[in-house]
Amino acid sequence: MQEETFSPEESLQVIQTMIEKTKGKVVDNSFYFLLWGWLVFVASIGQFVLKVIVHTPYHYVVWNLMFVGIIFSVIYSVRTKRKRIVKTYVDESLDYLWIAIVASYVLFGFAFARMGWQNCYTFYMLLYAVGCFVTGRVLKFSPLVWGAIASWVLALISTFLPFDYNILLCALAILVSYIIPGYLLRNQCRKQASNV
Amino acid sequence: MFKDLDPILHSQLRLAIMSLLISVKEAEFNYLKDNTNATAGNLSVQITKLKEAGYLEVTKNFKDNYPQTICKITPKGRDAFDEYVKSLQSYLKSRK
Repeated sequence: MQEETFSPEESLQVIQTMIEKTKGKVVDNSFYFLLWGWLVFVASIGQFVLKVIVHTPYHYVVWNLMFVGIIFSVIYSVRTKRKRIVKTYVDESLDYLWIAIVASYVLFGFAFARMGWQNCYTFYMLLYAVGCFVTGRVLKFSPLVWGAIASWVLALISTFLPFDYNILLCALAILVSYIIPGYLLRNQCRKQASNV
Repeated sequence: MFKDLDPILHSQLRLAIMSLLISVKEAEFNYLKDNTNATAGNLSVQITKLKEAGYLEVTKNFKDNYPQTICKITPKGRDAFDEYVKSLQSYLKSRK
């Protein structure tokens, strides 16, 4: 780009071209959706099998898988932060949203440990919905929004069903709100990257 | 009139830098270089001019042992950009 005098039309052209470059780029957050989606899905199905089919009282041990998620998430976030050369307001808002959601997951864990786990999945499904709805709306990515709506509906249904079925509803909620939108998001970001 | 346009912003590269930064929170030097196709030397000179005018906040630190320059638009820079766009709009309207 040359340092020279230029017309107002060219000024507008420069502004428009540069703003276009920063606009509409969907941030690839699919790693987190897929990692947590699959971990929760496997843990839910695992707990259902251990509790309903194997009849072991230690059916909840599968949720220790979440520690694997924490380790991988921390490593991934440190590595991607190093590579990040631009930070948009969208990135920042989503960072704050997910910090709030992670804090709520952890506090739910403490709260349910004290109050009993019988209704825990209803609340976890509500949290899946909040994160996916806001992320979906901010990124203008409708599969996440639809996944969130499905999770809200499943959370409502879970209030009518016993605990064992709620485990399966949780697996279904994570499939439609994290796993499926996660793959679709990853495809869109790859397409976007190949078009640059 | 066109003469009212801010001379700091009325330069192709400086305007490009400000336009890139207006819609993001902050960006690294390399992001600006890639998107403006400017040489590192020229970009550095223009960033310094914008910084001296108070339009940019420039932070220099190290990332993985490499120097890293992060640029961020200041409230003064945002107002100046806004004013520049308004002047452009009124100029273009007056020509219609």
